[in-house]
Amino acid sequence: MVWIAIRMLTGDATKFYGLLFGIAFSTLLITQQLTIFVNLIERGASGVYNVPSADVWVMDPVSRTTDVNLPMPSTALDRVRSVPGVEWAVPHLRAAASVRTKEGDLEGVSVIGVDDATLIGLPRRMASGSTKVLEQPDAVVIDDVGTTRFFPEGYDPVGERLELNDQRAVIMGVADAIPSFTSQVTLYTRYSRALNFVPGTRNRLSFVLVGAAPGVDAKTLATRITDETGLRARTRDEFARDGIDFIIENTGIPLNFGITVMLGFIVGVAIVGLTFSLFIRDNIKQFGALKAIGVNNAKIRRMVAAQAAMVGSIGYGLGVLGTVAFIWSFSSNPTFKGFYIPWQVPLISLAAVTIILTLTGWIALRNVLRTEPAAVFR
Amino acid sequence: MTRRFANLNFPRQILPVIALLGVVLAVVYIFVGLPDRRLEPPQQTPPRATGALANGDRVAGAGVVEPSSEIVDIGTALSGLVTSLNVQPGTYVAKGDLLFLVDDRAVRARLREAEAAIREAQAAIAEADTARTTAQRQLALYRQIDDPAAVSRTELLRAEGDAAGAASRAALARARRDAAEAAAASARVELSRLAVRAPIAGEILAVNIRPGEFVQAGGPQGGNTEPYIRMGETRPLHIRIDIDEDQAGDVALGAAAIVSPRGAAARQVAARFVRAEPLVVPKRSLTNSAAERVDVRVMQLIYALPPSDGLFRVGQQVDAFIPAKPRPGAQR
Amino acid sequence: MSDVAPFAPGDPATAIATRGVVRDFTAGQQTIRVLHGIDLDVRAGELTYLVGESGSGKTTLISIMCGILWPTEGEVRLFGTDIYNLSDNELVDFRLRNVGFIFQQYNLIPAIDAAANAAVPLIAQGVDRGEARARATELLAALNIGDQADKLPSQLSGGQQQRVAIARALVHQPRLIVCDEPTAALDARSGRRVMDLLREVALADDRSVIIVTHDNRIFDLADRILVLEDGRITHDGRDMPKDY
Repeated sequence: MVWIAIRMLTGDATKFYGLLFGIAFSTLLITQQLTIFVNLIERGASGVYNVPSADVWVMDPVSRTTDVNLPMPSTALDRVRSVPGVEWAVPHLRAAASVRTKEGDLEGVSVIGVDDATLIGLPRRMASGSTKVLEQPDAVVIDDVGTTRFFPEGYDPVGERLELNDQRAVIMGVADAIPSFTSQVTLYTRYSRALNFVPGTRNRLSFVLVGAAPGVDAKTLATRITDETGLRARTRDEFARDGIDFIIENTGIPLNFGITVMLGFIVGVAIVGLTFSLFIRDNIKQFGALKAIGVNNAKIRRMVAAQAAMVGSIGYGLGVLGTVAFIWSFSSNPTFKGFYIPWQVPLISLAAVTIILTLTGWIALRNVLRTEPAAVFR
Repeated sequence: MTRRFANLNFPRQILPVIALLGVVLAVVYIFVGLPDRRLEPPQQTPPRATGALANGDRVAGAGVVEPSSEIVDIGTALSGLVTSLNVQPGTYVAKGDLLFLVDDRAVRARLREAEAAIREAQAAIAEADTARTTAQRQLALYRQIDDPAAVSRTELLRAEGDAAGAASRAALARARRDAAEAAAASARVELSRLAVRAPIAGEILAVNIRPGEFVQAGGPQGGNTEPYIRMGETRPLHIRIDIDEDQAGDVALGAAAIVSPRGAAARQVAARFVRAEPLVVPKRSLTNSAAERVDVRVMQLIYALPPSDGLFRVGQQVDAFIPAKPRPGAQR
Repeated sequence: MSDVAPFAPGDPATAIATRGVVRDFTAGQQTIRVLHGIDLDVRAGELTYLVGESGSGKTTLISIMCGILWPTEGEVRLFGTDIYNLSDNELVDFRLRNVGFIFQQYNLIPAIDAAANAAVPLIAQGVDRGEARARATELLAALNIGDQADKLPSQLSGGQQQRVAIARALVHQPRLIVCDEPTAALDARSGRRVMDLLREVALADDRSVIIVTHDNRIFDLADRILVLEDGRITHDGRDMPKDY
């Protein structure tokens, strides 16, 4: 009987494509908006995720995110190193500075000072050049998205000179990094150079990056560091979460995207619900005949469920395909650098589609089940 | 039935395949595209505590390598041009070895003058002695003549006068000779002061003068100038480790420290405790900025490094881990 | 109900037996009695007409007789089975195995071809799709529309669609065939042809055919005519009453 149900569904092309469109559109809207939303707020954690080797971030108790931080005295590094379970700890400086470009424009940049000896704090990969270039005097490494802000497209920035706090800086490499929420240009340099690039204050040490000793849990270690030093220690995931929460709390993004996702859901319910009801109403006589002939309610339910599943799975597939095509086609755009589809998002839209179809299918099915088989004789 | 395969149906066969492909593509895309957020070990080894300290109570500190004598900045007692330089950085000198010479021509001229005066005075002494001898012989001759008429009284008096005059001329010349000898000795002393010598045995760490440059007694004048020669006893080397005053009480004084130079954290050595400086000093930062302000004070601990084949050099920064006294209440 | 005639147990010729069938319909506050105690025995191997004007209750009666409408009171036995004592699902299954329907508007499924439409009862019984289709196609050939098996209902003429509907009613070899106004939409000649066809293919010794009609052009083709007026059977005989 299921194949008959499918034939009935596809036999009415207008309604079939209407249903497909409704489901695909809802899926696309929900998936795509959720994807952009997640990626956008995860920009708040990019500073954390760009550092691939730190288990724990230690900061002043009032620091909140990678960008909202209060520097600590330099001995904080030694105090953190003194905590048992700390495999290693290195200094990490993050500060805002102004850079004078070749054209004379002033541009805000964030300067990241990484440990002089080990270069811990650099992103995982370099887009061009090697991390060794930082050993050269005045060398800085620029992030790849920042390159597009400073220079025309396709321009190789290696060798360009910048002026930072009256100091000369030479771009010697391009890092492959996820841009921050504000897409500010990021310059990586060694800690000792960064101290010169950033206008001086008494305390300069923004963070201490910590690696946990083998067998030591990052969470336990963070608690221990807080207990023993009085500094705020967050595991990598916690600190990433802090950055995301900061954006959620301080911007209207969740509300706006929430509204769009809700709209996608409502549009889906409206289009699919109406079309599905119309479809069932058109076929009510056939369903009545089938019931008279001797098709029981369980089989009728299965037929409607098969129709909903068919529309749902094809529409969902097309919607997901549309989302992938969207994200993929924009992946080369620097604004979308690092955008990915979290695996949870398609599942959420799948759940939404399931809810839409269950709801509308249930309403439609009620009509069918309520039909008296005797009605076929009238 | 075969008819259905010959003639593929778009909504029932092709669309589901497209949708399925879409889902498969999406799954692949999603799992390939998931961000790489794995934690990875750092590419270069950062300083770390090892052995018993790895998971034990410890205090970490940063320090600087210095000679066991601390650094001796060599100055000069006398100003002048450098005429010769006998050492170069890295030279190991014994106590008293000549380091450099300051221009000594003026002093040597004075010495020669004094020596000439000595010789002149000696000549005068000789002449006076000769004259006195002649006068005394003449006087003795006169005294042997009994005939008063043969020698007049006047003659006798003159001869006596000649003898006394010669004696006093000789005394004068001697005095002049002594004066000249004193002048010569003074010149010799000055000459030795112009030769700057090593005050202790040790290694020459830096040489900031070259022959022909002017050195000044009292050290280099003006800002940003460096000592003429820096030296120190580098056998053994010491390290001076700064410990945050908050943690000063935790340090187990007397225990060996694990030390590694910056940038070569894997090469750790055990350093022997020497002493804790009694004075707590402001933390020295290394930015060299004139505007630098400091509110952190540090206790300084001195440790002796084992001989280590060039791994450590004076002035190098090191990371150190020192055993701590067991902290009461600290959970392990 | 004391005047209800007893069943004739063990009579294999009795296809349908109704005893004291009463049916009420509720419209608002009012209850209208449509059937007033129908006692009826329909024999197998006969072509039985159920004739009556609109509102006479013939649709209600035929619905109750074939097991798709519950009577308010009374008992219905189909081939010895008390069908309204069955559970809902058992009744549905009973219909599926024992009753074939030919609806006035055919109610064919427009999205599937003639053979598939004809095969629907078999498919609903769970017969393999290929076998069901083969049996349906065979039957369509017997009905002279074997060459139309692959066509959609919308591509067939009215007469062809009716033959598909007849095939659907017969394909699973039911023992009772219920036919609602089979000739209403046809001219006299076609109507008679359909009736001939029905008699030829549908009627068998162990099978009963009930035709609901008010088409006086075909009254002469019945084995038995039942006339229903205001919920009561007023005539039962081989021919129509003269005054009708």
